[in-house]
Amino acid sequence: MIIKFMFKKEKNLENFKNAETIIGASIRVKGNFNGQGDVIIEGKLDGSLKTSANLLIGEKAKVTANVEAKEAFINGEIQGNLKVKNYLSIGKTAKIVGDVECGEISISRGALVKGQMIINADSAKDLEKKETKETEK
Amino acid sequence: MNLFVYDDFLNKSRYNRVLNKIEIRLTDLGLNGKILRLGSIKNTSSLIQQEVRNGAKNIIAVGNNFTVNKVVSALVDNNLSDLFLKDVLFSLIPVGDNQSIAQSLGIEKEEEACNIILARRIEKINIGLAGKNYFINKAEIKKSNILLDFNDFKVEVSDKNTTSIYNLFDNTDILNKNIIFNNNKIKVVITNKNGDLSYLQADNLQINGEDLMLIDNSITINLPKNIGLLKNKLNVIVGKNRLF
Repeated sequence: MIIKFMFKKEKNLENFKNAETIIGASIRVKGNFNGQGDVIIEGKLDGSLKTSANLLIGEKAKVTANVEAKEAFINGEIQGNLKVKNYLSIGKTAKIVGDVECGEISISRGALVKGQMIINADSAKDLEKKETKETEK
Repeated sequence: MNLFVYDDFLNKSRYNRVLNKIEIRLTDLGLNGKILRLGSIKNTSSLIQQEVRNGAKNIIAVGNNFTVNKVVSALVDNNLSDLFLKDVLFSLIPVGDNQSIAQSLGIEKEEEACNIILARRIEKINIGLAGKNYFINKAEIKKSNILLDFNDFKVEVSDKNTTSIYNLFDNTDILNKNIIFNNNKIKVVITNKNGDLSYLQADNLQINGEDLMLIDNSITINLPKNIGLLKNKLNVIVGKNRLF
């Protein structure tokens, strides 16, 4: 198991300029959500959540699901395993009960994580290199 | 051949002046054609379909959302073969209130609409299908407990929310949000008075619930079970400021 904490890289929410899906605070989603674009969750979701792009979970969101994303910004509650290919930001209001796996991570003071944590920066770097090459092509 | 379909509400004398202005402008632009007044006609669909079979190529609805829905429903109805439909161009001259479809298509009111028809900027649009009814712009369910079934997942919507199912957007507020909108998908926007917004896209969806649905802000129907899209169904003349 490789554990590296990456503090130097400050990322923000600029990636969320083009959300494909927004689950607002007033609705509840049940089932398996699979997306290709950026997803914002402010409400409740039960089942599973997978996107090949970015994920933002808002402060009041309650997600009972296994979650997969390319990058994720967690500020709400997740009950389930969280797998993020690249960068994961856990905000001060986040509460995660489940295993966490990601490439890079930042955790704010006050965040609660209960579960096993695997941070593999190398895989994240490989992914970044691969994407840079694809963009150059 | 141009076919102008005048809605029956235009028979009121207060629309005489604006109709005169439109007709003068159309004559100036060389866009004359046959006029069909819906006032005394019961079976609108079959009459419009007959005109298309007789060779009408440009069908221009003169009126509001309700007029457009009537004319487009007649054009895309199964009774009219796609062979006829592929050569037909639809356009709109907005007169009166309730003009969200004109807004979607970027068509300005009255005389300016005549110039847009002459410019012939053509787009192929999808038509929304709510049960057996067609919608061009949106279908709306106001404050109702419903369950939206997107096949892989379901969305519970409470009666504090309004659900708008869009084919073509008419709402610039939503377009100004940071969202991606796909012209080839149904776009579901769920809002409430607290400013909360949800946004989902799908090829089709099912609705479970019992209530009413408002189509194109003009026709009320019982809540249908299935919502879908007829893709690339109609050639439409649009303005520069269209919202798609």
